[in-house]
Amino acid sequence: MFYRENGQFKSSYSADQAIFPIAQDRVFVIGILLIAFCGVPFVINEYWANAILVPLLVYALAGLGLNILTGYCGQVSLGTGAFMAVGAYASFKLVGFFPEVNYLILIFVSGLVTAAVGVVFGLPSLRIKGFYLAVATLAAQFFLIWLFNKVGWFYDHSPTGMITVRPIDFFGVRVTGPEATPAAKYLFTLTIIATLTLTAKNIVRGRVGRSWMAIRDMDIAAELIGIKPLQAKLSAFAVSSFYIGVAGALYFGVYLGSAEPLEAFDINQSFYVLFIIIIGGLGSILGAFLGAAFIVLLPVLMKNLMVGGFGVASGTAGHVEILLLGALIIFFLIVEPHGLARLWQIAKEKLRLWPFPH
Amino acid sequence: MAFDLFLLEVVISGLMTGVMYALVALGFVLIFKASGVFNFAQGVLALFAALALYDFLAEDGWFFAVFGFTLPVWLAIPATALIMILLAWVIERAVLRFLVKQEEIILFMATIGLAFVLEGLGDLLFGSDVKPLDIGIPQGASDWLLDNFNLYVEKLEIVAAATAAVLVTALAIFFQKTRVGRALRAVADDHQAALSVGISLDKIWVIVWSVSGIVALVAGIMWGSKSGVQFSLSLIALKALPVLILGGFTSVPGAIVGGLIIGVGEKVAEVYVGPLVGGAIENWFAYVLALGFLLFRPQGLFGERIIERV
Amino acid sequence: MTAHPKNETLLEVESISLSFGGVHALSDVSFDIRKGEVRSIIGPNGAGKSSMLNVINGFYHPQEGSITYQGKRRAQMKPHEAALGGIARTFQNIALFRGMSTLDNIMTGRNTKMSKGLFWQALHFGPAKREEIENREFVEHVIDFLEIQTIRKTPVGRLPYGLQKRVELGRALAAEPTLLLLDEPMAGMNLEEKEDMSRFILETNEEFGTTIALIEHDMGVVMDISDRVVVLDYGRKIAEGTPEEVRANQNVIDAYLGVSHD
Repeated sequence: MFYRENGQFKSSYSADQAIFPIAQDRVFVIGILLIAFCGVPFVINEYWANAILVPLLVYALAGLGLNILTGYCGQVSLGTGAFMAVGAYASFKLVGFFPEVNYLILIFVSGLVTAAVGVVFGLPSLRIKGFYLAVATLAAQFFLIWLFNKVGWFYDHSPTGMITVRPIDFFGVRVTGPEATPAAKYLFTLTIIATLTLTAKNIVRGRVGRSWMAIRDMDIAAELIGIKPLQAKLSAFAVSSFYIGVAGALYFGVYLGSAEPLEAFDINQSFYVLFIIIIGGLGSILGAFLGAAFIVLLPVLMKNLMVGGFGVASGTAGHVEILLLGALIIFFLIVEPHGLARLWQIAKEKLRLWPFPH
Repeated sequence: MAFDLFLLEVVISGLMTGVMYALVALGFVLIFKASGVFNFAQGVLALFAALALYDFLAEDGWFFAVFGFTLPVWLAIPATALIMILLAWVIERAVLRFLVKQEEIILFMATIGLAFVLEGLGDLLFGSDVKPLDIGIPQGASDWLLDNFNLYVEKLEIVAAATAAVLVTALAIFFQKTRVGRALRAVADDHQAALSVGISLDKIWVIVWSVSGIVALVAGIMWGSKSGVQFSLSLIALKALPVLILGGFTSVPGAIVGGLIIGVGEKVAEVYVGPLVGGAIENWFAYVLALGFLLFRPQGLFGERIIERV
Repeated sequence: MTAHPKNETLLEVESISLSFGGVHALSDVSFDIRKGEVRSIIGPNGAGKSSMLNVINGFYHPQEGSITYQGKRRAQMKPHEAALGGIARTFQNIALFRGMSTLDNIMTGRNTKMSKGLFWQALHFGPAKREEIENREFVEHVIDFLEIQTIRKTPVGRLPYGLQKRVELGRALAAEPTLLLLDEPMAGMNLEEKEDMSRFILETNEEFGTTIALIEHDMGVVMDISDRVVVLDYGRKIAEGTPEEVRANQNVIDAYLGVSHD
């Protein structure tokens, strides 16, 4: 009864095409944004920033990127970890070369570098599909990680093979390194993610997004009505890699602080991001956030419940977590292949009738 | 003369590794042939089988804890085979039958989930430390070859090659000559048509996954005997992908040939090209090779071409 | 059923031969399509009718022969060329984008008319939005024309068969085609649906002057709405002419009734 569209008539195509055509949705989202930008920074602490909010936002961004490629355009990729690494290493080298340039610009350029790499490794998609393409992206995954491990130039020849982020100020506020405040890290990340989410939504609901979905649903028909597969697929790889690259740069710079390719960006990372979009919902912007929340909160929950609550060893809790994750993947694929985002939609449908039964 | 010998050893070593890859790839081919599912969990199945086998044999396992004695090798292996059949049945009931109508990419992702479940389960039940697996396969190098030809070849790898040969022949006969084999091929071709002539999909799938499980057991035994039972075994699954691309996803001989090519290719590249670029080429060589194949001959050496219609 | 006053040729196929391995889908087929006419292609199943459309469209490349479209002659057509040249089509087994709504599906038909790139799309406000609204207006005209306003936002996967066929026609019409290829647009429809579809096809031809090439099995429809007919059998052209001429042709009668050939 409260969630009805009654009386909300659209008198222009512009209004009909808005991101949140229903007024209640608009209010809800504005509310969340207000709390996120104006409320949270005042109450946030080290733990919440570092263990929950920042990784959640970064993984949501990676999920957004992968969703664009896999959910909207239907090109399967298992190379997400490696592309995050490209973004991370690009940002590392760029900050080294241009310490005076604004961090935001360098992150943006890191994204562009990753987009270029993504296009190159996306070229095979013009000839192969489905999980054959997944195997091709595995080639990218293993090759790039080997590259970042072997070639000293990438990690400034550090004897440990790790890259560590330099302390960087953004308009006078420290955002990386141990001296950055949780609020600073959080707001910096939040602003980037919020902007990129908006642009993603814009692209996806326009001509380019439609051409991606057309390729996903029936690429032959798409080609026959004049959509160029080359442009569509490569643009999907480019945009997707851009997002994943920025996520990687933030993952390294703001979240981890230091990284080593085999641990931070290996094939397991690729699987995690894939799980995020499966659980969250393929082809859904909201899904990336819901899935990321899930993936980030699950281990935290497990730890608190099992180690704190039942006194289970943390190693065992880790094993249970893996088991649970796999079981949940299977569960979601069987029950709701469209993920949490669809469940959310169904809940909203029910809300329109609430409190009436039909 | 010494150079030639070295190359020969590298090639033979590569062939042997290739046989091991082929064993795992075989399991994939079986399931894919009969159900169109690419079973990402195949490697983990091999690991799980090896873990279960170890448990029957060793004194620090559950079996001993519950029953007070360990099984001799000739009982432990069939017992493990039974476990794999039971596992196949559970997988069919709990996962496969719900995903029948979905596209292959969904099924593939479900098997990724399955791999995680089995990995977590294996960790929980059996612990994640490395376990030695000794079922009586002779260790060490073949003295005969060493003495007569100056060639270093491990006995274990010879046994693995022989086992693989027997397995492939048995499977080929199974597919071509038996009634069940024919049914499997029918199901692989067309689910609906197979159903309409009375073939029960559920039973077929349990059979296929069981056979695959047993193949996984053999693979697990070979790999486990060679380097101990450890979790890197599950990563072999990832290596099997390039093997399948080379050999074709639906071809049993293709899996063997593909495995051998990848095995030799990797080793040769590592030994001769590796030092030039810092080594560890084995990590990605197979994939890049597979990528090349995908671009120029996507159906692999022995697979079937897929023609798209509008 | 109008014959365009100028009667000029829009499309001509000459000596088209197409085979897949050992199967000869088309053998030495030649005919033309005049501007503004409704040209039906008929024949028993497996005669090669869909293959012919696929050749015109650029999906199949013939081993022999040539295609002359709008005066330009070529050995084979490329799909993108065909689309840009104003050739649109519907498919025998509906090829709609199932994950998208009716509106979005028809909007994809406007793809060749829209050009604003990634940067403007990301910004949304400004040129991309204007382009989107302009094209939306055109698509709404198509939606009104086909009377499918109520299913605008429905994902097409959920629509009944007859409506899906109509949406697919809408997607083709959205491209403002010069030549419209329809592959069995009435298949599986009941009488009412067929009448509606015939009406849409005729109106498209009469009001917008769109040239139409139509594959159809329903002889009643073919006789009613075609200007000229081509008959294919086993990949060869066995007759052509006005509907009356073709109906009386002995070869055609034999082909449909299956008289044995010695």
